Amino acid sequence: MVGWSMTIRVSDPPTNQPMLTQHEFLAPLAARRTDQVVVSTMSLVRAWGRLSKHELDFAFADSAMGHAQSLALGIALAQPQRRVLCLNGDGSMLMSLGSLVTIAQCRARNLILFVAQNNTYEVTGNQNIPGAGAVDFHDIALACGFPHAFHFHDAREYESHLDKILHLQGPVFISVRLEPGAEPPPNRKQSEDTPYLRGSLADSAHRLREALNQ
Amino acid sequence: MLTTRRLLETFKQLHITHVVGLPDNSTAALFHELAEDPDIYLITVTREGEAFATAAGLWIGGQHPIIVIQNTGLLESGDALRGTLTRMRIPVIILVSYRGYKSLPNPAPTTLTPDDLSRRDVDSVAVLLEPTLRAWNIPYEIISDNSELEKIIFAQQRAQNETRPTAIVIAENIR
Repeated sequence: MVGWSMTIRVSDPPTNQPMLTQHEFLAPLAARRTDQVVVSTMSLVRAWGRLSKHELDFAFADSAMGHAQSLALGIALAQPQRRVLCLNGDGSMLMSLGSLVTIAQCRARNLILFVAQNNTYEVTGNQNIPGAGAVDFHDIALACGFPHAFHFHDAREYESHLDKILHLQGPVFISVRLEPGAEPPPNRKQSEDTPYLRGSLADSAHRLREALNQ
Repeated sequence: MLTTRRLLETFKQLHITHVVGLPDNSTAALFHELAEDPDIYLITVTREGEAFATAAGLWIGGQHPIIVIQNTGLLESGDALRGTLTRMRIPVIILVSYRGYKSLPNPAPTTLTPDDLSRRDVDSVAVLLEPTLRAWNIPYEIISDNSELEKIIFAQQRAQNETRPTAIVIAENIR
């Protein structure tokens, strides 16, 4: 089941209950994506890049140190007519929980923040994050002032609600319980399979600015 | 004397759209005024590192932000600055209030010792501010009076010409 409204608290499932794979999380999102900006970070960078080659994709990599959602907030405030999706990790989210308060305070109606909750620092080898399995990001987001927060651990439930979520007035927070993966750190080099990791971070930032302000 | 009114005039001359930061005692009057200003959007963050990423996003989105933080917050957010404005080559000005400026020894020590950083009569964040800006490769100017506000315009020009962040250090309370 999901945390559907701002008044319902939904606990994480016991460990023997289903979790989403990374593909089950990202593929439905990629299928519905139109002209939204997508900011990805850490283990989600390459995974998203395998599904999308859009000019409004931005990889906050090689390291964002917990600031991807703040960068997404800035883009959302600058471009209020355009939706901004941020694909964040749980370890990254913990690095800057206070930014949830800032986002809620700014009432960024066009910002949708996803947190992939696999309870590990995946790119450094799946060490447990602090509070692994105990932290309730859904409740934290609501307590910080998000008008909408959701938690999913079932792929069908997630996909069935995604259309509605993507059209809500934000800011919207979605945590998704994922299986641990095995993505290596997202480096930038010419040989990368995902095009948005082939240029420098500066090139990517300046290209996105051009694309958004044509 | 450095006044809020003249500082805001300078911001508007530079077409600043957003101020992102955290107030301290020396910038309190500026934040108070910004909260009521209809032309510049104020974003108060919970920790200074957020300010750098949010300002980077605003710039990518086509806006013209400026960051206002204390020197303590600058030191706290070193990697946020490195990972955003510096690594993305984003021309944004960082306004840094110089806590402890008046406690600095004259002349300031050129080589720091443990004693320089633990003296009770000297604020160690003031001792570290300028060496840190130099180490992080952030060009800066110090201002303490309205007559020096032109330095902010020059800082903006340098930021744009060189596609990099620059800093203005405020060594006086804003009235």
